[in-house]
Amino acid sequence: MIIMEKDNEIILSVKDLKTYIYVNNRCNRAVDGVSFNVHKGKTLGIVGESGCGKSITASSIMQLLPKLSRIESGEIVYHKDDEAIRIDLLERNGKPMRDLRGADISMIFQDPMTALNPVYTIGSQIKENLLYHTSMDKKSMTKKTIEMLEKMGIPLPHQRAEEYPHQFSGGMRQRAMIAMAMSCNPKILIADEPTTALDVTIQAQIFELMQKLKEEHQTAIILITHDMGVIAELADDVAVMYMGSIVEIGNVHEVLRKPAHPYTKALLESIPILGKGKKQNIEPIRGATPDPYQRPKGCQFLPRCDYASNQCEQFPLDQQITNSHSVKCWKSNEVLSHA
Amino acid sequence: MMLVISFIIYLGLELTPGDAVSRMLPPDATINMKAEELEKIRESLGLNEPFIVRYFLWLGGVLQGDFGYSLASGVPIKDIVLDRLPATLELSITALILSSILGVLFGSISALKRGTVTDIIFTIFGMLGVSVPVFIFGLIALVIFALNLGWLPVGQRILPGYDSYWDHMPHLIMPAGVLALMLTAGVMRYSRSSMLDSLNKEYIRTARSKGIPEWRVNFVHGLRVALIPIVVLIGFRLPMLIGGAVIIEQVFQWPGVGELFVFNVRSQNYPLVMMIAFFSVLAVLLASFFIDLFTAILDPRIKLE
Amino acid sequence: MDSTKRPSSYLDKRFDRLRDQDYSSLNQQNKSSRALKKLQSNRLAVIGIIFSLTIILSSIFAPLITKYDPQKVDLRSMLKPPSSEHILGTDKIGRDVFARIIYGGRISILVGLGSALGAALIGVSIGAYTAYRGGWWDSIFLRISEIFMAFPQIILVLLLVSVLGQSLMNLIIIFVITGWGGLYRMTRAQVLSLREEEYVQALRAFGLSRARICFKHILPNALGPIMVNITLSTAMFILEEAALSFLGLGVPLNIPTWGNILNVAQDLRVLQNYWWVWLPSGITISLFVLAINFVGDGLRDSTDPTLQG
Repeated sequence: MIIMEKDNEIILSVKDLKTYIYVNNRCNRAVDGVSFNVHKGKTLGIVGESGCGKSITASSIMQLLPKLSRIESGEIVYHKDDEAIRIDLLERNGKPMRDLRGADISMIFQDPMTALNPVYTIGSQIKENLLYHTSMDKKSMTKKTIEMLEKMGIPLPHQRAEEYPHQFSGGMRQRAMIAMAMSCNPKILIADEPTTALDVTIQAQIFELMQKLKEEHQTAIILITHDMGVIAELADDVAVMYMGSIVEIGNVHEVLRKPAHPYTKALLESIPILGKGKKQNIEPIRGATPDPYQRPKGCQFLPRCDYASNQCEQFPLDQQITNSHSVKCWKSNEVLSHA
Repeated sequence: MMLVISFIIYLGLELTPGDAVSRMLPPDATINMKAEELEKIRESLGLNEPFIVRYFLWLGGVLQGDFGYSLASGVPIKDIVLDRLPATLELSITALILSSILGVLFGSISALKRGTVTDIIFTIFGMLGVSVPVFIFGLIALVIFALNLGWLPVGQRILPGYDSYWDHMPHLIMPAGVLALMLTAGVMRYSRSSMLDSLNKEYIRTARSKGIPEWRVNFVHGLRVALIPIVVLIGFRLPMLIGGAVIIEQVFQWPGVGELFVFNVRSQNYPLVMMIAFFSVLAVLLASFFIDLFTAILDPRIKLE
Repeated sequence: MDSTKRPSSYLDKRFDRLRDQDYSSLNQQNKSSRALKKLQSNRLAVIGIIFSLTIILSSIFAPLITKYDPQKVDLRSMLKPPSSEHILGTDKIGRDVFARIIYGGRISILVGLGSALGAALIGVSIGAYTAYRGGWWDSIFLRISEIFMAFPQIILVLLLVSVLGQSLMNLIIIFVITGWGGLYRMTRAQVLSLREEEYVQALRAFGLSRARICFKHILPNALGPIMVNITLSTAMFILEEAALSFLGLGVPLNIPTWGNILNVAQDLRVLQNYWWVWLPSGITISLFVLAINFVGDGLRDSTDPTLQG
């Protein structure tokens, strides 16, 4: 599925990525053929329930997969300046890949309390990133660290840099982690559920921060979340994932206003909207996500789908709705007409 | 708590056979005394006072360094013990440092190479170290290295005239080595599991995401955090270090406090036995204190009080 | 698919096999193979059980295994090396070494197991009841256990030996006295956490007596780690008895135990020249303790809910 947006540079393109997990001597096809493009300075939101494979997709891009898993097939291409680097062909912890991590592509994680090392100061953890990707001397690194903390909105940065993670509040910790990730000015920032562990009010602040980064540094952001509200706020494009495949992808306004996949539609209908009042029609999605080891044949959403038919036992192919919106469903026309 | 222990020790002293006077004064002072003189001495030492008073008198003496006299030799206990202390310290501290370093090293390598042959070998070694009685190791070492191959001296600590730590080294190698062997096995097991725990945590992933080299991820991040529970666990095992030292000192005739203790248990020299027991508790408490301090240094989340 | 250029790892073959297996949906096997796998991973424990049982049984049925009396002195065959007559040779006063080891096992195992069970009995009952009652009872006993545990075990044991004198019974009593603390602490921790569970509240509402709730309902749930501890304590006590008897301060020398046999090794001549007198005993202890440790570890793995299947 390729989105045609002529004006924007593509900085990362993922083509038919398959990543399988081999834990407990079973084969879990966590990511089973996923394709998307990330554009410079734009935010791609990947949304889906727990276990749909969105985090694994992110990990695949960074090659941070667990030991008992691997990228089976597909391409991950990072377009750096003039080169096209095939990330999937690099050694997981070899020098080329490590040079990319932290400097070109950075990642921030869900829970900053556990994601930061408790025995080292925030400053030293940020400096570590600078140490391995720049040739700055000690003094400049300290300066840069304080600068980054300040930019991320942390008050008293020189003091804070010498403090430990447990001395920070939740929101500040996340800001510190973002400071660490942005310290080498990466072209792509992957945010894996960055606000799930935070209060709603802090969430808003973090989003503001990320928006600022996007605008000031033209950083492309891949935002992973299970929260549609977050997508509506921040994303320019959205990819809806279910059981390892992207079922719908496109411009966020188009997808959210005119969903073309039954799953997307069902997701949107299951969220209460603030301000709409008591009479909203909130419908939970019937059924439950299937066991990844006992997958249904054909379209994975078949057992829970209101539009299902016999045709759906064949895995759906891409249907292009508009230039910037495509879906994997045989019944997309019906779904659209019901909107 | 020490107070309670001191009370118990005193109780022990009182209850065991042996005249209090011979405990508290050098025997040559009382040896030729007549009954009345002895009675006067008893009065002056407060031995006719009620139990509690006598306890506090004893306690006072202890705090000032007067630990009484050995029943057998009449030498002040303080001198006897102090004379032997350096030997035991040499042995224990060497074994402690050696086993801690090796244990952590082997354990973390085991964790990193989990499931491979290296891991299996280390684990087997660990199981043996915990199962084979420490003195067996000692005896076997004695036979092989000292008696048969003649590489190392057969026990004892010094030759007259040579008195620095390094001079003791040839004699120290076997006892400290064997003791360290036993301890390393235990340290290795904790290190392995602690390291595995640490490597499973989120901050390891974050470290990797910064593109730093693997060795740094595993050691600067992984091991450094794993060290905290390892140190705590080593602390819990310190009493075993003392126990092991007692046995090893016997096997190798190492002239330390442990050997002293065993000898006096055999000869039923109660004052000495009681006081050494008392000191051992003191030693454990002191060591625990240091371990706590060390842990607080390693873990910034703990506030020093 | 240009997979030829993809970086490879030693895990690739295994992954390929699992993936292909999955494609042909051979998933049905997995239920039974899970149980099998668990048994396989406890191979060591099984070996441990077999081995320790062998030793225990041979100790019990000693007279059937050897015709020699371990106490019988035969001054005509002193310090004879292993031969067809005496499988492990004879010791300084002509006693058959193999017989001594087999019979010695009886006492050593008795001491080890007996002390472990005794310490468990006391430690667990006190721990369970006082932890459940809480308050004053709990604090007192906690303090008491702290005092006992402040002494390095060997020191306390030797202290008591010097005071109470050496005998088999005394040794077991001394071991129990010095060892109950560990099990007490552990039981206490378990009971304290289980005490707050809902089913306990329900039982209380039914009016059951405290003792009944504690022993009949809470304790069985805490049993797992306790069993593990008893197993590992047995190993520890056997090692301790061996060390003490080696020093001559354990079981009185006239009763053969594995440790007592080793006592002669203090003589350097025996150590060097007559290895069969002491080494087999040492090996036996080591193997038995190793076996018990395997069993203990296996028990721990199977009762620990956090380990994956």
